[in-house]
Amino acid sequence: MQRTTEPLLALQGVTKRFGSLVAVSEASLDIMPGEVHCILGENGAGKSTLCNLIFGVHVPDKGEMRFRGEIYRPTGPSDALVSGIAMVHQHFSLVHDMTVVDNVILGQQRGLVNTRAWVRRLERLANDYGFALDPYAKIDDLSVGERQRVEIIKCLIREPRLFVLDEPTAVLLPDEIAALLDICRRVANGGAAVVLVTHKLAEIKKAADRVTVLRGGRVVARSDRPAEEIDALVRAMIQGDVKSLDKSAASTLGVGEPERVRTTAAPSETPTPEAVQIDGLTVIDNQGVTRLDHFTLAIGPGEIVGVAGVEGNGQSELAAALSGMVEPASGRVFLGDTETTHLSPRQITAAGIGVVPEDRHAVGCVVEMSVAENIFLNRLDAFTRFGFLRRKELIEAAGDLMKRFDVRAAAPEIAFSALSGGNQQKAVLAREITLPKLAFLIAAQPTRGLDVGAVAAVYGHIRAACERGAAVLLISSELDELIAVADRIVVLYRGRIMGNCAADPSERESIGAMMAGQAR
Amino acid sequence: MTDVALSGYRRIREWVRPSVVISISAVVVAGLLGLVLIFAINVSVPDALSAFIDGTVGSPYAIAASINRSIAFALVGIGFVIANRANLINVGGEGQIAVGGIAATAVALYGGVAGLPAGLPFIIPLVAAMVAGVIWGSIAGVLKIKVGTNEVISTLLLSFIAVWLVYWCVQSPALLRKPMTSSATLPESLEIPDPTKLPLLTGDYSFPLNTGLPVTVVIAIVAGLLLARSLFGVQLRAVGFNPIAASRAGISYQRMVMFALAIAGALGGLAGGIMLLGDQYVLKDGFSSGYGFDGLVAGLLARGSVVGVIAAALLFGFLRSGGINMEMVAGVPTALVMVIQGLIVVTLAGAAYFIRQRQ
Repeated sequence: MQRTTEPLLALQGVTKRFGSLVAVSEASLDIMPGEVHCILGENGAGKSTLCNLIFGVHVPDKGEMRFRGEIYRPTGPSDALVSGIAMVHQHFSLVHDMTVVDNVILGQQRGLVNTRAWVRRLERLANDYGFALDPYAKIDDLSVGERQRVEIIKCLIREPRLFVLDEPTAVLLPDEIAALLDICRRVANGGAAVVLVTHKLAEIKKAADRVTVLRGGRVVARSDRPAEEIDALVRAMIQGDVKSLDKSAASTLGVGEPERVRTTAAPSETPTPEAVQIDGLTVIDNQGVTRLDHFTLAIGPGEIVGVAGVEGNGQSELAAALSGMVEPASGRVFLGDTETTHLSPRQITAAGIGVVPEDRHAVGCVVEMSVAENIFLNRLDAFTRFGFLRRKELIEAAGDLMKRFDVRAAAPEIAFSALSGGNQQKAVLAREITLPKLAFLIAAQPTRGLDVGAVAAVYGHIRAACERGAAVLLISSELDELIAVADRIVVLYRGRIMGNCAADPSERESIGAMMAGQAR
Repeated sequence: MTDVALSGYRRIREWVRPSVVISISAVVVAGLLGLVLIFAINVSVPDALSAFIDGTVGSPYAIAASINRSIAFALVGIGFVIANRANLINVGGEGQIAVGGIAATAVALYGGVAGLPAGLPFIIPLVAAMVAGVIWGSIAGVLKIKVGTNEVISTLLLSFIAVWLVYWCVQSPALLRKPMTSSATLPESLEIPDPTKLPLLTGDYSFPLNTGLPVTVVIAIVAGLLLARSLFGVQLRAVGFNPIAASRAGISYQRMVMFALAIAGALGGLAGGIMLLGDQYVLKDGFSSGYGFDGLVAGLLARGSVVGVIAAALLFGFLRSGGINMEMVAGVPTALVMVIQGLIVVTLAGAAYFIRQRQ
């Protein structure tokens, strides 16, 4: 690859503080034209803040940035766009009721709009980069991967010199990830620079020309030959040895090949009674769309069944129906001999069903309340006398639980919102796993947004629960996670079970195909 | 400065919280602005001031009357704060006062309670007032949980209905209007029998604090404990902050909404009953005269604190008494008194902004 000596974007000692937190500290970084530059780091390492500094969302407290040799001091995203820097955020900003082409035009033109001309440009661009996109499709009808392409094309149509993507692969299918990395390569080959933020090493191996590793807001390592130096980069990222990592956590991260870590006990001769029996569970949303279609599954005691699938294929509805948050249209659920189909969340909790919801903030906790209140939110009445809360006991018990589950917080009384994402997740898990007589644990995306240490801890607790005889339903969009943790996997596609297979790395491709809707 | 003096200064600083200082300054600033307005309409400022002082703290009678006025503000304000913990905004205090007043009058006049022993003649009408308030608050609750009607709209509209209900009751001889002996008979109810009137605390008509005061104090303490210490308080907060997470944790959103609005209604109804039995004795059109809305403002200004409600209620009680006296003695128009009250609310709300910035 041809490389000029002049960097396209140079950061010199850039620092950004939020209150007492130093999000980015003295970061220096050169981005060359024509390269794919990966920024690697765990959650909270400052990757997103760095991107937002480049894109003008935040203004640095210290340090300077030079873009094409000139001082670059953006005060907002519009400055960045004018300079030729475009960014795809983690969360899409699309108008769902509008078509692809309308979304692309938005913010790009004033006055009269010649939609046809835009459609021609759009099609030419899609052609150049080798992907298909119907300009007249409504965003609502597109898959997550396609929506991301709309975001990307919104950027590319501006012909940016620097293209920033913040964690773009989190929501994509394996095939879509490959296609995205291919697009990045094509953009770089066209002479622009691509900054790709990720915490997945597999992507770095495939796509990166150079890598910068962040930890705690600082640049802790750089590499010009990332594929060869991957182990050193991981060490720098997690400040530890790859070999010391929990094996499942390591394979989820993409260090080494996905590996099946769990060894199932040999199937016993006498069939054990099923702990959980789900029979034809169907969920229809209030628009009349069938979100979950005759989901049938039996889980034995101590078994972990993984549910794979791209997000939005019925997993949320499955978890919601099982946890009593949504009334199923038909079907039945049994826990042992007890039917739990139409029970309220309170009764479901009492029956021994623990739920780690996928959306921690919306469903799992009340961030404005204290850690102690949250960690016992579903059984606060155990700490009352005559209706009054025995706060001292509550706080002591919460302290014990926090110690057991390694929830790091200054004190049980502080607000839940003050905890990091990983600690919040551990607290929710602590609450659900320590349910009296836990018989069934539903864990939806339990490691989303967690760093490696926290991921390993979460897996440990899930395994411990299943060793105590609980049935576990693990819903995840991370295939590697399912292969590493589950005993077997069912694949959901558009609300239906596409197939059922062992959680084995050799099944990876066929699972990927089922996730994309091909029956086995 | 010596160490001792410094620590003493610090102790004072800690005691005089900036929020208190800012709030008091806001009231003073608004009061001064009010004086400027009084000056501008050519009323003698010293006359107005002395009328205001006479009407508020000039005599034991004035003090007691002001405190009695504060009771209704405090009860409605406490109800507002409780409902607000569940993130509900009850603007229906006026209507809840109105139905409480109707129920108390009806039971006191025609419930046959006057002959009962030991306080029952006024306790039963007060309970009836609370029940009426509960019903009025619960209507909004049912509308909210069944069809999702915003409680701001439903409680407000229910207030209009209740206020006109009072009008109907006192206009119709079939309801509560006193028997028409001549065409000059006023559209109001009969005076309630003496045993049903709230007894005075001191028995002394020159310092007429009524029994509503200890009732209100007890309710304030219970409400404070409920919000700060009880499971119910925690559940209200959980539902207020995050109804989905709360319901996943087994705390029923519907139940909490019903409880919160019913309690707010009960306190509004009680306020109406106390106004009627403790002070007015006769049900008249418009007897609630904005107490519910001022109580709502007291609740808003208190920003979640029961102590704050009491402070705001007292402020409003004294302001109203002073305002009435300014109008009667110094000839300051009612409208201007209302303007001054409004100014105080606006400056206090503005002060809240500065307090938040300091925190």
